[in-house]
Amino acid sequence: MSVIELSHISKRFGKFVAVDDLSFTVEKGEFFGFIGPNGAGKSTTMNMILNFIKQSRGEIALFGQQIPEHELDVKIRIGYVPSDVRFYPQLSVQDLIHYTLDFHHIKGDKAEIDRYCDLFQIDRKKKFGDLSLGNKKKVALVCSMIHHPELLIMDEPTNGLDPLMHARLFRLLKEKQNQGVTIFLSSHNLKEVEDYCSKVAFIKAGRLVGVEDLTTVNKKVKIITLKGEKLPVEQMEAIGAECIKQEDHEARFIYEQELGRLFATLSQFAADLDDITVGDRDLEEQFMAMYENQEAAR
Amino acid sequence: MTLFRLECKTHRKTLLVWIIVVALLTLGLVSLFPAMKDMGLQQMDLKAMPKEMLKAFNLSDMAALSTIKGYFGYEFQYVMIATGIFSAMLGTNALAREESEGTISYLYAQPISRLSIVASKMVANSLIYTTYWLISMIFAFVSCLIFKEAGASVSNLFKAFAQLTFAGWIMGLTFLMVGFLLSSLLSSNKSATSLSLGLVFLTFILGVVGKLKDDFQVLVYFSPVDAALPSAVFKNGIEWNYIMTDLVVLFITCLLTFWFYKRKDLKV
Repeated sequence: MSVIELSHISKRFGKFVAVDDLSFTVEKGEFFGFIGPNGAGKSTTMNMILNFIKQSRGEIALFGQQIPEHELDVKIRIGYVPSDVRFYPQLSVQDLIHYTLDFHHIKGDKAEIDRYCDLFQIDRKKKFGDLSLGNKKKVALVCSMIHHPELLIMDEPTNGLDPLMHARLFRLLKEKQNQGVTIFLSSHNLKEVEDYCSKVAFIKAGRLVGVEDLTTVNKKVKIITLKGEKLPVEQMEAIGAECIKQEDHEARFIYEQELGRLFATLSQFAADLDDITVGDRDLEEQFMAMYENQEAAR
Repeated sequence: MTLFRLECKTHRKTLLVWIIVVALLTLGLVSLFPAMKDMGLQQMDLKAMPKEMLKAFNLSDMAALSTIKGYFGYEFQYVMIATGIFSAMLGTNALAREESEGTISYLYAQPISRLSIVASKMVANSLIYTTYWLISMIFAFVSCLIFKEAGASVSNLFKAFAQLTFAGWIMGLTFLMVGFLLSSLLSSNKSATSLSLGLVFLTFILGVVGKLKDDFQVLVYFSPVDAALPSAVFKNGIEWNYIMTDLVVLFITCLLTFWFYKRKDLKV
């Protein structure tokens, strides 16, 4: 079942095209990463999903229901963490929790709220306006989860969090995912996306560059780095490796073929080389390759 | 209902400050009446001033200043202008402040429609204004009772205040709704105060111009303050043609606010 379904959505601000013909689907229970450089259109896309801004073209469906027609039915099932957390500064954290529960017409599970507040070390008596950036983020995280949402939309949720809280947040998100919650997360931190997301969409200049399944794709693809005076570039290409970078004494290749042939070739030329590294392709590599490919295609 | 409570809580202090300031101002003005009466204020010779000018500043009937009704009617017009500014500011800030302060990212992520946001805020701010106005008028009435001239009829004064309370309430609601319309078009409340001041003073000046020259009398219809001027209400009672004009403006601006807010891109 599709939880988020974007179909050819575009957003124009005057002549500027912030999002251009974007389409992808997020399935139930997925931990979906949404990555791209600054100004790529990530937040604009999230704002359209939540109906903060209206799409110029295309259709958005959440839980199979069209937005904005069914936004009330849908928003009751969503928890949202904005990138820049600016809640009511005059309210205490406890008040914010109460108001959030009131908006959802529920009393809330006290034990669960206590657990979240303890987990993120939140002082509920403090006024929101007196909190630091990191603590504001933690309050937003708690408020996004206390009504048991089926979909969590998080825009840069780890901004301002220390490494301990960062780890606790992702442990909690994994727990939520195991309970069937769908997580849609925008981030600049490729490492956290790579470590936790099952699928990732890349966006650049408002256009979708690609969607990858991280549970399978990166394990098959190897990155080989060779260093030395005499680099066997032609021989590597002959076995199906694609040279993605070549300098005077260093070359990097992507390889998706059989590993036996690769190691046979490498051992053949090992004597001429100073160093050989073979590793899985990480998300950063994939991210850069996708963007460079798109640039080349233009 | 949740947003209604949140909005009321947010404005509690502002409401209290306005009530205290206006009550003290009213008390100060009204307490001067016995001294002003003894000085023979009504004897002041303003014949050198053009009649239209006196009419424009509601000073055409100097003899009326010797009664608490006449004196209060003249002095309180400035409080009416301040009241108009208060209600206009409530309106212009109501929706735009959420975007300006970024709190809309919390509010609109909750299961609440845009129409509910506007409706809850309209009801809450109308209640805040009504509370302010009722308390201010009760305080003004009591002040007038304390400092009234000997022989002034209490029932007559009560009737006059009841009419003024109604006319002033409609005036404030009109400014509130025009403020709401402006707020639905803005994405920041930085200009809310200047817009509110501009709105009240501009419409007040239109009323003055309308009274200065008969050819421009139609301009008085664009001045909600004129529809609720204490001196006019005390003298002529409620002028329904002006009240109806205010109600039409109120209704149209209310509908337009819903229409614009439902369609706008919210600044997150």
